[in-house]
Order: sequence, then C-alpha cells, then structure tokens
Amino acid sequence: MKIRRKDKLSERIVGTALRKGADSAQAKILSFETDEVNFDDDRLKSAESSQRTRIDVRVIKDCKVGFSSTTDAYDIDGVVGRALEAAEFGSVAHFEMPSAHHLPPVKTYDPALLPLAKPEMIRLGRKMMDRIKAYNPEILAGAELGKTVTQAEFANSSGACYSSEHTFFRVGAGGQLVHGTDILFADHEIGQKKRALDVDAIADHAIGYFRMAERVAPIQTGKIPVIFTPHGLSVLLLSLMLGLDGKNVYLGSSPLRDRMGKTIADERFTLVDDPLIDYGPNTSAFDDEGVPRQRLALIEKGVLRSFVYDLDTAGRAGAKSTGHGQERRYTNLVISPGDVSYAEMLRGIKNGLLVHQFLGLGQGNPINGEFSINVGLGYKIENGEIAGRVKDVMLAGNAYDALRNITALSREREWVSESGMFVFYKGLFPCIQVGELSAVAK
Amino acid sequence: MQDRLQEALKVQDVEYADIRVEDLTESWVSYRGPELNKIGSARTMGGIIRALWKGGWGYATFNDIGDLRKRVREACETARLVGGDKSYFESVEPVTDAISTELKKDFRVIPLAQKKDLMEEYNKIVLGHDRKIQTSFVGYADSFKRIWFASSEGTFIEEENPDVNIIVTAMAREGDIVQHAFETSGGREGFQTVENFHEKAFQAATRAVELLSAPPVVGGAYTVIANPRLTGVFIHEAFGHLSESDFVYENQRMRDLMVLGKRFGVDGLNVIDDGSLPGGRGTHRYDYEGVPTQKTYLIKDGILTGRLHSRETAAKMGEKPTGNARAVQFHHPPIVRMTNTYMDKGSAKLEDMIKDIKLGVMAINEAGGTTALEMFTFNAACGYMIRDGKVAELVRNVTLSGNVFEILLNIDMIGDAVEWLPPGPKGCGKANQRPLYTGLGGPYIRIRNCVVGGRQ
Repeated sequence: MKIRRKDKLSERIVGTALRKGADSAQAKILSFETDEVNFDDDRLKSAESSQRTRIDVRVIKDCKVGFSSTTDAYDIDGVVGRALEAAEFGSVAHFEMPSAHHLPPVKTYDPALLPLAKPEMIRLGRKMMDRIKAYNPEILAGAELGKTVTQAEFANSSGACYSSEHTFFRVGAGGQLVHGTDILFADHEIGQKKRALDVDAIADHAIGYFRMAERVAPIQTGKIPVIFTPHGLSVLLLSLMLGLDGKNVYLGSSPLRDRMGKTIADERFTLVDDPLIDYGPNTSAFDDEGVPRQRLALIEKGVLRSFVYDLDTAGRAGAKSTGHGQERRYTNLVISPGDVSYAEMLRGIKNGLLVHQFLGLGQGNPINGEFSINVGLGYKIENGEIAGRVKDVMLAGNAYDALRNITALSREREWVSESGMFVFYKGLFPCIQVGELSAVAK
Repeated sequence: MQDRLQEALKVQDVEYADIRVEDLTESWVSYRGPELNKIGSARTMGGIIRALWKGGWGYATFNDIGDLRKRVREACETARLVGGDKSYFESVEPVTDAISTELKKDFRVIPLAQKKDLMEEYNKIVLGHDRKIQTSFVGYADSFKRIWFASSEGTFIEEENPDVNIIVTAMAREGDIVQHAFETSGGREGFQTVENFHEKAFQAATRAVELLSAPPVVGGAYTVIANPRLTGVFIHEAFGHLSESDFVYENQRMRDLMVLGKRFGVDGLNVIDDGSLPGGRGTHRYDYEGVPTQKTYLIKDGILTGRLHSRETAAKMGEKPTGNARAVQFHHPPIVRMTNTYMDKGSAKLEDMIKDIKLGVMAINEAGGTTALEMFTFNAACGYMIRDGKVAELVRNVTLSGNVFEILLNIDMIGDAVEWLPPGPKGCGKANQRPLYTGLGGPYIRIRNCVVGGRQ
C-alpha cells in the first residue's frame, strides 16, 4: 500500500508548488477506467468505456489555503498557479499537512475483476433481465453493470506519499410496471470492490419489491408504527449525517452540537463509520487530505460518541481529523444488527407501514430532523403481513424523535447505496422499527 | 479543432457517429457562516464519442483528447457489441455554425478577490440582520464552456456557453426550530447579473426570521393557490418530465397514457417548451445532436398536443425531433431534456382566484421538487393560509404532493401573467445528469383538492 518513489507526478506537483512560493502543498491524482453496460426498457441499450483523470492541488501560503483542479496532466504550472492565486484570498488555514503515517491494511483490489469484459457483463445483465421477465413479463426491466479500476496517489510537503489501487463492481437490476395512471419503480443495486457477487440474488431482491406491490392497500391518516427497510432509512440518516457533520457542529447548526456523551437514540442503536471493511464499497486506507482512515463509532448504544471532521474544521473546532476528507464524506456506514428477525418484526404489527423509498428526499429542513415526505414505495402492514403497496401517502415526523422511539432492529442486514443530490453514502443496515409516526393519506 | 474532430471521425465504421469536446473553466467562492467556505477554480477538458450500430449505442468518454481515433474505434466496437436490431434515428440537415456570446461584464477577467468581496457583502447583510440568524450560505459560481460538436453526417458546431450564478441562503433558529430562506440570481449575460443583490439578501434573511414564528401548516386537502414561481416548478416537475419521450417511447403503457389528443386540463391550460426563447436559461440555437431548437406546445387548450424528442425518440414514435437532446457535461450522452418550460398565462385576476376560498393555502416560491412519473412532491418556500377569501397568516412546512394527472384536471383558474424563476445554481436532475439549467415559468394557478403535507 505504501510505496515510496521520488518520480511520482503527485510529488512533482508538490515540488512545483513549493518552488513557486507555497509554504506547504498537497496533490491528489485520481485516474480510472470504467466499462459499463446498460439495459433499459427490456433491452440492451448502450455500453460505454470511459477514461478519467483528475488532479487536485491544495496549497497554503501565508497561512491561507488555495485550491484548484485540472484534468490535464500537462497543465501542472496552470493548476499550481491557480491554487496560489486562490490562496491570496483564501480562508485562514487551521491545520498543518499531516506527515507520513503507517496506513491500515485493507483490501481494495480484486485482480479477478480485471478480465471482466463487456460481453460477460452483457451476459450477466441478460440473466437478471430474464429472471425479472420470468416473474412478470409486464415489467419493463432494466439492469446496469459497471466495472472500474482506479489508481489513486497522494503526496504532500510534510512527506506523506501514498498510492493505492481499487477495483469496483456495481450491479443493479429492476424495472417499472405501469397500470393505467399507476407507475411503480423498484430496483436493487450492490457495489463492492471485489468480483464475487450473486446476480440472481440481486434480481430476486428487486422482484421482491414488485411481489409485495401486487395489490394496492388503502391506508388511513393517523399515527402508526413504521418499519424502515435498510434503503428506507435514508430519511432518518439524512438528518443524522448532517447533525454528525463536524462543520455543522462547529457552525452551531447541528442539533447535536452539545449532546456529546449523551443518549440521543435508543440503546440498541449503534452507528459506526468503517472504512476498513475489506472490499467494502467505500473502503480505503487514506483520505484525500492524507489522513489515515480509521473505524469510528459515531453513536454507541444510543450515546453520541463522535462527529466527523476534516483537517481544517477539526483545527477550528479544537478537534482532530477523523479521516473523512476535505468534504467530510462518510465511508461505509454500519448499523449494528438487532435481535429479532425481519419476519418476527413484521408479525408483531397489526396495522403499520413498511417504507422503502421516498420522493423529494433532502428538501425542506432536514438538519433539525423534521421531515414531511412523500412515500415513493411503501407497503401497508396488516395483521403481521404485507397487505400491499400504499399510494399517495406522506410520512411526517422528526428523525431524532424516531431514533429515540426505535422499538426493534432486525438481525438481517443489507448493503445499500444512496447517491442522490442530498444523501450520499454506502451502508450496511438492518430494518428498523419505530414506535409511531404520522402517515397522511389522501 | 474542426479538422481534428472530422479527421478522427473518418475511422468510424458504424451507421452514425459524433464527437463532442468541451473545454470548461470555472471559478467559485462561498461563505458558510462568517467564514469563507470555498474559493477556487478549475479547468476541465474532455469529450464523448457516440456510435450507433443496429439500434445499439457505444460511448467512449475521456479527459485525454490526445488520441481521438483510438476513442472513435473504441466507441464503434462497443456499439457493435450492443447493436443487433434496427436503428431509429431521425435525419436532420447537416449544419456548420459558430455561436459566440457577448458578456456585458466578463467574469473571466474579474479577479477572484473582487468576487469574494462581493459575496462577503451579501453574507454580512444576512449575518448582521437579526440575532436569530444562525448561519448563512452565500455561493458564487461561474463557468465558461467552449463546445465543439462534429458528426459523421458533416455537422460542425462550435459554441460558447457562459454561466454565472449566486445563491444567498439565510438560516434562522429559535430553540429547536430552524428555518431557511434563499434568493438566487445569475444568467448568461455576465457578472452584472449577480451584482446589486443586497436587497434580495436582506429579504432572504427577513423571511427566514419571520418563518420561525409561523406555525406549520395543518396537513390535509385544500384549495391551493400556487404563485408563479411555484407554478413553474410544478409544471416542470410534475408534467414536463412526462413529456420527455425517452420515458415513453418504448413503453406501450406510457404511450397509452400520454396519447396525443387526450384531455389533461381545462380549456385555458397551455404548456409550452421553447428552447429558442431569447434570453431563457435553457436557450440554445441547437441541441447536442445538432438539431435546431423550437417552440413546442405540450398542452394546447387543455389537450395533450406534443412532446419533447431526441433524434432517436422522434424516429421511434414517428414524430419530428424538437431539439431537446441535452447533456450536462461531456461525460454524459445527450438525453431528452426540457429547455424553457412554462405554463402560459390565462385570464384570471389573483383577487378573483382567492375571493371564494373559505379555507385554503397560498403556496409561495419553490424550495425544490421531484417526481416519479405519476407522483410528485415539492416544497414551497412558505405559504399563507387563505381564510374566508382573504390571505391570512404565514405558515411553514408547505409541501404539495399528489398524482399529476388528477392535479392538472383540478386546476380551475389560471392567472393573467407569466413570471420566470430567477436563475440560480440549482438545475434540473435526470439520470445522474445534474444540474442542467432550464427556464421555468408560469402564472398564479388555483388547484382544487390538493394534498398539503404537515404533521397531524
């Protein structure tokens, strides 16, 4: 993982920046090649090869920070010059660039992915499409497979110099079903840094959402118990992720700002950010500021244990960087499993709601936990069973209240991937049941 | 560049191929609270090659424009893996054109320091407004893109595409209640569009503080008046996306649902997409397939009369291309997108729309919106209750949702003037392509029996 060679491009850029007057400098280079195939509306529609390079340069001059980026490896003078220009007016640096550290050993590269070419990806895609069509030929099926090989390197003027290689394999399948004015979307996707993956299981997972939606079940306005599927947790996690962001804490906008060490959730709720899971979707050994990654307990048995920090925010707040990079991005979020099975959880509910997808996530006022959001895909629970899909229902409540009112977590967990505009994470989550929330039906 | 692109295209051996290369320079400044949040600039160069073979598309995208022939071959090989059917691709007249822009104040020659100072002024207005202002976000971004497009049919278009925008957001807090308000500005005309924004910054701060003491709206079905900006978002999100033919063209059920000639609303309902509208945020002379943009009626006199097309969707549906194939950036192929979409004005006066509402909600301005075909949801920035025909108290958490087909039929009055949303950093998102700048507009409208979300 840790290679020390003097001729790396990132080190040359750092050298250039110091020569041009920077007091300290860092360079990060990411280059990757991706192959992907895309099935839509029942057929193979397109395939793509892509090549990307991105060079990010950050400098500190006279205690002020400047940044610039380029896609052109021959534009080193240009990118360094622009970073130095930005530094003239930049914000005051509240950090020093980290020196070389021993990096944690993690697996991010699976050579078995290298020979995977488009024809095989097409074959796997067809297999999932056929499975979905075999369940219900009226579903307009879709599938996506993508393989990426990435080289990352990092160097700074404090002597840190790292490089790493990553493979990534992404497989998704799903479809849409239209009945009159009723349109149902459902899909399932897995992304990981190794090849071994059961495509049939992914298709079956997507089929499960259609199966539960074969009937439409009316629902009445009122307060009812709600089970969030791992995917459906997005509405709660969005608020929590904003609240745990060290920058929001420092700026005073996080409702968690003075709750460190206090109980903020049910005692069965433990949330860890773990970048060191072998082959995890966001697994890596160092962040984009050259800070080694670490496993970080955010909430332990309901007690708030840590916020996430980058170098600069940590410097301002009197904290330490948690290795979450300049943007404080979560890596692999992990919620500990509970002690009941999903089936038991369901059986215990006489009248409730299972929520899986939302429309318009991130709008409104997520930071204080409040949500009032349209359920895109949700199911009515009746006498311990799924009665059918609910339509035109809004779910309203407060994410922090919901976390305190957790009544059960499932033993089963699954990986989910959120890549929307406001929520961006990968995670391994159980289903979570919450006491009562307001459902507004039309 | 023309020679380079056309030379590279000579190695193509498929039915159709094109290359789009973009050179983008951008800069940004933002404040979050009293501190400078981000400042910087970047240069991005890259391109995409599209190859069509027997109904299958092969794409090659790249940052390194060194070996275009290799990329063309790669795209063609990929297309041959995918194809196996029949291609549908409407033909258009090849064109050669160069589109340059005039910036009144060229943001490229304005020093970063000046951009920063201006944002600092706006930020100070927000932060100094009231002790209840918790924090702020003031963001500035500019970009200047040069685009070269060449196709195997002989089209070559060179285009300059500038954009500058700002957003000023105020966040107020009292106890556990946090409220936001924002204002945006910008456009293609130059740096002057983001100057003199002090008054708007003040308004955002004022509204955020006012909302703290506003009660949340009580959830339920109401008669709702949407103001013009919200109408613009509604018609874009709830209906406009359904007019994008890539949702429809291979989906028989959607085709049945969106049959031209079907009634979608009252006689006075007209919805238009116009990529040729002078000065619009979504205006272009050509789309990203070299098709001239045009004015397209989507709904005319309440009847579905048209939809938005790329060359492929037009051919599939036996209709004409409308110049709506657009892409956010070079690493995306163009897909069917809206340009400037608006509901046309009707004849109703606002006071006549309100006067016979016993209990209703006036929903004001957009705070985002989204849709999954039939179902939509969007948040208003704020709202006022309407009681006994009069505008009453300010309320917050006004979220509208429902089934678009029902809601369109429930529009019973349409106001007498169209207003456009001010440009800003937020654009439309579809298929991971975001933000695409579009124009959104409309008049005041009245919707009967519309679900407004809130806590019970």
